[in-house]
Formats: sequence, C-alpha cells, structure tokens
Amino acid sequence: MDTADIEAKVIQFIATKVENLDASTINRSSKFEELGLDSMDTIQLLFDAEDAFGMSFDSEEAKGFSCVGDIVSYIEKHQAPAAP
Amino acid sequence: MQVVVTGMGVVSPIGIGTDEFWAAAVKGTSGIRNIASFDSSGLRTRIAGEVVGFDPASFLSAKYIEQTDRFTQLALLATCLALEDAGGLDAYTPQRLAVSVGSGMGGFGTFESSALRKFRNQPVPPFTVPRIMANAAAAWIAIKHRLKGVNLTCSTACSSGANAIGVALDLLRAGRADAVIAGGAEACVLPLTINSFEILHALTTSSNDSPARASRPFAKGRDGFVMSEGAAMLILEREDRAKDRGAKMYARLAGYGQACDAAHIVMPDMNGQVAAMRGALEDAGLKPETVDYINAHATSTPLGDIVETRAIKSLLGDRAGNIAISATKSMIGHSIGASAAIGSIATIMALHTGTVHPTINLDEADPECDLDYTPNHAQQKNPRVGLCNAFGFGGNNASILFTTLE
Repeated sequence: MDTADIEAKVIQFIATKVENLDASTINRSSKFEELGLDSMDTIQLLFDAEDAFGMSFDSEEAKGFSCVGDIVSYIEKHQAPAAP
Repeated sequence: MQVVVTGMGVVSPIGIGTDEFWAAAVKGTSGIRNIASFDSSGLRTRIAGEVVGFDPASFLSAKYIEQTDRFTQLALLATCLALEDAGGLDAYTPQRLAVSVGSGMGGFGTFESSALRKFRNQPVPPFTVPRIMANAAAAWIAIKHRLKGVNLTCSTACSSGANAIGVALDLLRAGRADAVIAGGAEACVLPLTINSFEILHALTTSSNDSPARASRPFAKGRDGFVMSEGAAMLILEREDRAKDRGAKMYARLAGYGQACDAAHIVMPDMNGQVAAMRGALEDAGLKPETVDYINAHATSTPLGDIVETRAIKSLLGDRAGNIAISATKSMIGHSIGASAAIGSIATIMALHTGTVHPTINLDEADPECDLDYTPNHAQQKNPRVGLCNAFGFGGNNASILFTTLE
C-alpha cells in the first residue's frame, strides 16, 4: 500500500473516534490532541491499523507518536509485504 | 408515595417499539428462528430469538458502536424509545435522574470474540473490558442522556431485569432520585453461551426444524428454553411529579419482592418463588386475592414451569385457576437479564389495554401444569393487579407488582 492509501486509511480510522470530526480537515501534521483523540482513542487507532496493515507497533516507540504522520511513517516502514 | 410508569421502550425478537411488540404479542407471534448471526451447525440447539432489523448505525455514531457491545446498543435503543414515549425528562435536574439496568451476561459477545482473537495470537481490542463490563449499558445510557444521578447494575442471571426495576422503586421511595430509567438488556445468542446452556440441558434440542413451535411453556413434552436477546426500559417517576409535568401514565409500579432459595445454584425452589410473590404483594400493601394477572417466568423447561405452577397455587390457593397467566417467553424465548423487563412491559400493557397476550404453542398442557395460561389466543380480561415473575440461577427470585392507576 502506498503512502497516500495508508494516510487515507489512518484518517478514516481517526474520523470514527471523535464525534462530528470532519475527515477532510485531518492531514499528516494534525496532532492527536488537537483532533480530540484521548489516550484510549489512540490505543484503539493503533489496534485498527495493526489489523488493517498486518503489522504491529513497538509499544515503546508508539508512546512517542503525537501526530498522524508519525503513525503513517511507521506503517510505511513496517507494513507486511504485499502478496506476490 | 406512588411510583408510575410514564414511558416504555422495547427491542425484541417480535418487534422494536411497544406498539410493534404488543401487536405481535397479542397476535401470538413467534420470534424464534434459525440462528442467523453465526454458524450454529456445530450446536445441538440451532434456533434462537434474535432481534431482526436492528441497525446500531441508524442511531449511534461510529464511536459509540466501536466502544459498545451489542447488549449496550440494544439497551441504548430501548432507552431512546422509552424517553421519547415519556416526552423526555427535562423537567428534572440531571443529578436527580438515575439509571438501573439488569443484565445477566453483560458484554459476553465481546468476551467471546476477544477470547477467540487471544487464542489465535491476535491482538485483543482495546475496548474489550469497557465493552464486557456488566455496567457498560447503564454507563452509556447515562453518557448519552447526561444522567448524573445513581447509576446501578443488577446482575442476577435471569432475574436481573426484575431486580433492576425493583431497585428503581426503592430508589424513588428513598428519595435518591426523581426519575429512574430501569430495565434490562441481554445479547447472548452466542456460540459459547448457547453451548454452555446446552451442557446444563437447559435448552430445547428437539425443535431445530420447527423454530416457531420450540418455546412451549406449560406444554406437554416441552424440553427446555430457547435463548434470545433484547432490551426493555421503563421510565419510572413519582406519581405527584409525573402529574406536575403533565406526563401520560400507564400503570403504577406498586411492589417488589425478593427472596433467595439459598438451596441449589440452578434448581428452582417453590418456597423462594412464593416468598418473592408474597413479598411484592406485602410491599404494595395488597392481599393475594387482589392478583388477577401473572406474567409467568415460564421458560419452557420441564421442571421450572411445574415449580412455578405449584408456587402460584400455594400463593393463591383455590383462586389460582381463576386468574389469567401468560408466558411471554413462548413467543420471544428467554432473553435472560432482559426477560423480566420485557415481561414487565407485557404486564403493563395488559393492565393498560385490558388484553392478556397468549401463551403460544399450548395445544396440550402438561397434566402438572393445570392453570389458565391463556392458551394460544389473547383474551380481554381487564386485569387490575399484575405480577411479573423472574426466577434466576443462584436461587434468585424476584417478583414485581404493577397496578392500574384507578
């Protein structure tokens, strides 16, 4: 999956976490805090991403994530290789 | 001080909303079908009472759906319907609005699906615990409607809903709340849950090919209950306050009786059942001779229906054969913690409309079940005092008493 697809998917997951959040206002530099994501929402977001991209986050590294781009970059680096 | 029912909401296998539910109940409609929500081919019981046409996305945001188990979603819909029926509770301050919900199993669907993931070495969803916990439904009802008063959950197996309503009566009498949303919710048409009740020989296994005939309380040859799901909520208020705000009133919640068998963990005991019914009458200041309708617990197990019949005879003596009894579970199956809340709505509607819904599938009664169970056809009986029985595992017996307003 390329960067744009990963980003779109992550944004779609975020939009379901917060009531009345317009997905079109979210971009790579959006901070979780500004979007209204609480710590449980962030944990759920990582879970959604693990399921969707067939990878897992290192919990220590994930603690440092603060914006959408942090997650997208991590997934890019660690996503399961595409099936041949 | 009197307590009245000013709103009702029900989500059941025979209809969503009181009008749809009651019309189907009076007609004697069965809501038992082949299980649709999962592959039941490995089970001996492959039928259940599932709520059809329930779409959580029609009234809940993606966030609510992600963070809630089905039992909470059913409870939230029943609550919305009940509040709408009552015209809202804006007349009260949020701190004086309480919630009292019964659920035997809580978010067991989430437990089963998360356990399956764990055993497959997949990550467990973060909201597993908040979805499973028994008080999740009560908590989400409060969150959705900003109800900041007492928030309680009764988990007493099959009598959970009755106890939740009884506790609500106590809260109002004690002055701990001005209005209470009270009822029950259950969503346990699930593989592990059904298998576990099968192991206890509690479920019918003879009717997979004729689901509508499967749940047959008091009938000769019955062989167990049918698992079902649903939710029902009542809006309960002090009568004087309800009148002040001009609320419509369906019936009075007049008494609550509770007794534990303190004998066997799953086998019913007649004395505990009599004590619960007698307790509800004493609580209401009424004598047994005033009772003219009983919404029976009647799950369709061989032993349970006989024991309840004997208990009613013990309570009412010679009058037992003269009053109307009916079994809501003959149509919807056994929705565990929701069952007495749904049965309460059937009882209230009997008092409100004068019609007693039938016990279906009762062509030939068990010789040991020889009372008037309103077989197969509804009857106009105009009852004024109705008991709703709920007897749960743990020897937990609860009976709640409703009366007409006059």
